Amino acid sequence: MIAVKDRLRAEPKSRWRFPVTLEGMLYLLPSIVLFAVFLFYPMFKTIYLSLFLTDAQGNAQIFVGLEHYSQLLSSPSFRASLKATVLFVLYTVPAGVILALGLALLANQKLKGIGFFRTLFSSTMGMSVAASSVIWLFIYNPAIGIANTIMTTLGLQEMQWLLNPDTALISVAIPTIWMNTGFSFLILLGGLHNIDASLYESGKIAGVSDFYSLRKITLPLLSPTLLFIVTVSLINSFQTFGQIDILTKGGPMESTNVIVYSIFKDAFVNFNIGSASAQAVLLFAFILIVTILQFKWSEKKVHYQ
Amino acid sequence: MKKPKILLTLLTLTVLLLAACNGEKETAEPEKAQAATKDGKTEVVFWHAMNGQLEEVVDDLVADFNEQQDDITVKAVFQGTYEEAITKFNTVAGTKDAPTVMQVFEVGTKYMIDSGKIEPVQKFIDADNYDTSKWEKNITNYYNVDGVQYSMPFNSSTPVLIYNKDAFKKAGLDTEKPPATYEELKTAAKALTTGDQYGFSVLNYGWFIEELIAAQGGLFVNEDNGRAGNATEAVFNGKEGQEVFQLISDMYKDKTFYNSGQNWDDIRAAFQSGKIAMYLDSSAGVRDIVEQSPFDVGTGYLPVPEQSEWEGVVIGGASLWMANGIEDAQQQAAWEFMKYLTSPEVQATWHVNTGYFAINTDAYDQDIVKSEWEKYPQLKVTVDQLGDTKTSIATQGALIPVFPEARQKVVGAMESLYQGADPKEALDQAAKATNDALEMANRKK
Amino acid sequence: MTRKKKFLLYALLIVSSFVMFFPILYAFSISFMQGGEVLRGKIIPSGLSFTNYEAAMQKVPLLRYLFNSFVVSTLIMAGQVVFSCLAAFAFTFIPFKGRNLLFLIFISTMMIPWEATMVPNFQTIRALGWTDTYAGLSVPFFAMAFGTFLLRQQFKTIPLEMYEATQVAGVSRFQFLWKVVLPVSKTTLVTLAIYCFLNAWNMYLWPLLVTNDERMRTVQIGLKQMQSQEVSTEWGVVMAGAVLVILPTLILLFAGQKRLQEGLTRGAIK
Repeated sequence: MIAVKDRLRAEPKSRWRFPVTLEGMLYLLPSIVLFAVFLFYPMFKTIYLSLFLTDAQGNAQIFVGLEHYSQLLSSPSFRASLKATVLFVLYTVPAGVILALGLALLANQKLKGIGFFRTLFSSTMGMSVAASSVIWLFIYNPAIGIANTIMTTLGLQEMQWLLNPDTALISVAIPTIWMNTGFSFLILLGGLHNIDASLYESGKIAGVSDFYSLRKITLPLLSPTLLFIVTVSLINSFQTFGQIDILTKGGPMESTNVIVYSIFKDAFVNFNIGSASAQAVLLFAFILIVTILQFKWSEKKVHYQ
Repeated sequence: MKKPKILLTLLTLTVLLLAACNGEKETAEPEKAQAATKDGKTEVVFWHAMNGQLEEVVDDLVADFNEQQDDITVKAVFQGTYEEAITKFNTVAGTKDAPTVMQVFEVGTKYMIDSGKIEPVQKFIDADNYDTSKWEKNITNYYNVDGVQYSMPFNSSTPVLIYNKDAFKKAGLDTEKPPATYEELKTAAKALTTGDQYGFSVLNYGWFIEELIAAQGGLFVNEDNGRAGNATEAVFNGKEGQEVFQLISDMYKDKTFYNSGQNWDDIRAAFQSGKIAMYLDSSAGVRDIVEQSPFDVGTGYLPVPEQSEWEGVVIGGASLWMANGIEDAQQQAAWEFMKYLTSPEVQATWHVNTGYFAINTDAYDQDIVKSEWEKYPQLKVTVDQLGDTKTSIATQGALIPVFPEARQKVVGAMESLYQGADPKEALDQAAKATNDALEMANRKK
Repeated sequence: MTRKKKFLLYALLIVSSFVMFFPILYAFSISFMQGGEVLRGKIIPSGLSFTNYEAAMQKVPLLRYLFNSFVVSTLIMAGQVVFSCLAAFAFTFIPFKGRNLLFLIFISTMMIPWEATMVPNFQTIRALGWTDTYAGLSVPFFAMAFGTFLLRQQFKTIPLEMYEATQVAGVSRFQFLWKVVLPVSKTTLVTLAIYCFLNAWNMYLWPLLVTNDERMRTVQIGLKQMQSQEVSTEWGVVMAGAVLVILPTLILLFAGQKRLQEGLTRGAIK
């Protein structure tokens, strides 16, 4: 995935140049320093702490080796967290990308007043997680929320959206998709604009269907943008915290207790820093695998112009 | 792959930085906060978790204090929820960024005592010969361990039964006689359940379960609720706990109990919109409910099973802790501030404006309280319930280091009831999980 | 386009934009309601009163918070874009030793759960004496693996011949970055900048940790400050606060929509 093919041929050696490695490092130095201080140092500390029992202040006290890990891997609670995390990603990423793509295709039509609709579609971009979660909490309120008003108007049964372990995760996924759509929409629309219109013209002359040109022209040419959106959505999805904190607090019956929330709870509410650290390390490994797979897959599929 | 020189450089760099960071931290550690501000006043930094209307009341009290005298400036800073505030306190305790006075929720009591970062207020009570006889014992006892008063109660509340009087009238029930036993509760709920309206609801929040158990005189953990020694085992799955869970399970199956989740505002919305006719709420929420409901609201004591005796309620809310490792002048200033907060006048203002209890019972003789009680007689019920509470280990409340975690387990068990779980099994499971957490916590000692 | 198709498209547009925009309208509507009205499940307020807005403005210094959020988000955005550009450029055009390995390490930072780094980072910031400063609020986020990755993908689309030509002409690498690479990567830069800004705008826990002074806090803290824990939340006021918080971003979005679209379209190389 990462193997960068050295695209550069011989360096011109006509005059003295800054040593290449040094120059490279110079460009990278700001990032490296910050990563070292604010990511690697805490990460090493996390790995270290995951092997200990800590006091409430988070200082390592008793070495327990891999006990936290073995406990986590055999704990039904952690398995539930894993399951919730995977399901949450599956609920939010594909649906979010498809929704945004659909809206982008719709808004890419040349119609009067389309700018207005584009603005509305991208409006969720400006919503903060805290503000939108509070709004959705209202929408879902079993007694007074609009979601149940709609259900009864449609002649359906009222639902306990966030209180039923079977529907809670989906109910958190919906606002998440909604919040992410504005941004994804805007980026995908930009991607669509960049596709050469003449390609469609020649398609029209050849008499192909809209669907065919979507599949054969639009999607392949949009693939770098799509990859970007998928990656962003994946990261967002794995890191979802605010919505869960406000809407469900990980409940009911741990059905929305995704790993990031579980880490937060263990570290900041229960003061089990050791166990929280072990979960963080496992999450790290888990996302690493997913990302590698995603890159492997995208390497083949993504079309760079 | 090329030679991993870069990696080596990077690692060295990281290690160096790591060392640098640690070094800096160590030099920062012994620094003490500056006791005096520029104008010669002693500064007291007060961290709290009071948001919404509560923050306004706190700010007003602090401003009044700062105006009243010339030696001390109190700076109140909101630090997020109780959990967020305590996390931040942890990280800065013992450094110059640490606050002088810290508000901590009741379940953090054991945790704060064990942290070693605090000074018991008993020290100042003794040094000052401060008269504590006016304090409501049922409140201060919670924060009193082995005869030492560790912290100063600040915002204290208890649960109460709240009911819709209009619905009671419609169902042919006595509007002045709320159910006092589980049997009465069940009958009332049955009569109240009509169409869209459910009879009863309890927030899925561990505090209410603890209270319902304590009301019957039941304990939460062994070692006398953790007050005789470090608790090693949860006992909330005993007879009393089973009664509570059985009640919820029976009523839920009977469709007279409504599951309103774990959000305070949700259950209140359900009550105000007529979805539920009775529920348990915090005494601090009573006034708003009475004010905002479009019908008559009544309040009552916590119910208990027919055969058990009513023991009382445990105090909830939060208290104020004094940091150690700061200058004496600062501690003294903080103590002055605490004394000010417990004066009858301030306590009366506090009670009237927030619905939290007054720690100083003299406050209830103040005129503003009297006129408020005339307007909202429901408030008096909450105060009476606390006054009628028998002082015992059960009503003193449990002291455990893993309280937040135990609460989560109890909530999980409660939620599983709505999925048809067996009450006893659900409780046992929660108790077992709590035991594991306790064992882990005790290993660290 | 046939009439029928046009009609269908408009219908779709109207329905979907209503669905997308509804929650925001709902928030607007609640922000005009008085206490009890909200909890009785009304959708339309009984009157247009701005008391909630007044209360929200009084409760927390929202303007100051908005200003802080704006400064912090802009700083983070600038930092991330600049640092990512430099790093991505090195990874694409400078063939130094160990480049692949270093890139792998960079990418791997993307997977570090932020929650795991928070407390140690807070200690670092404290040790640096950066609490209550814009630096403490923004510097830890300047380096960004994802931005580096995104820009590297973009830079790779620049034909190598272009680079070689400039090398032969004796143009320095930095000039090449400045004069050639950045202008042709405008789309990606705009995208990245928006993404960074929004993420920074949404931060809550970090600003709460590193600030003690009310004058340094950001709007997300302000929102949380308006909600209550044990007593009833005044939802009308909270929603008014939420509206005040989203209004600047919405206005910016509405006003800048055209330019944003252009920025995202133009400049891309074919």
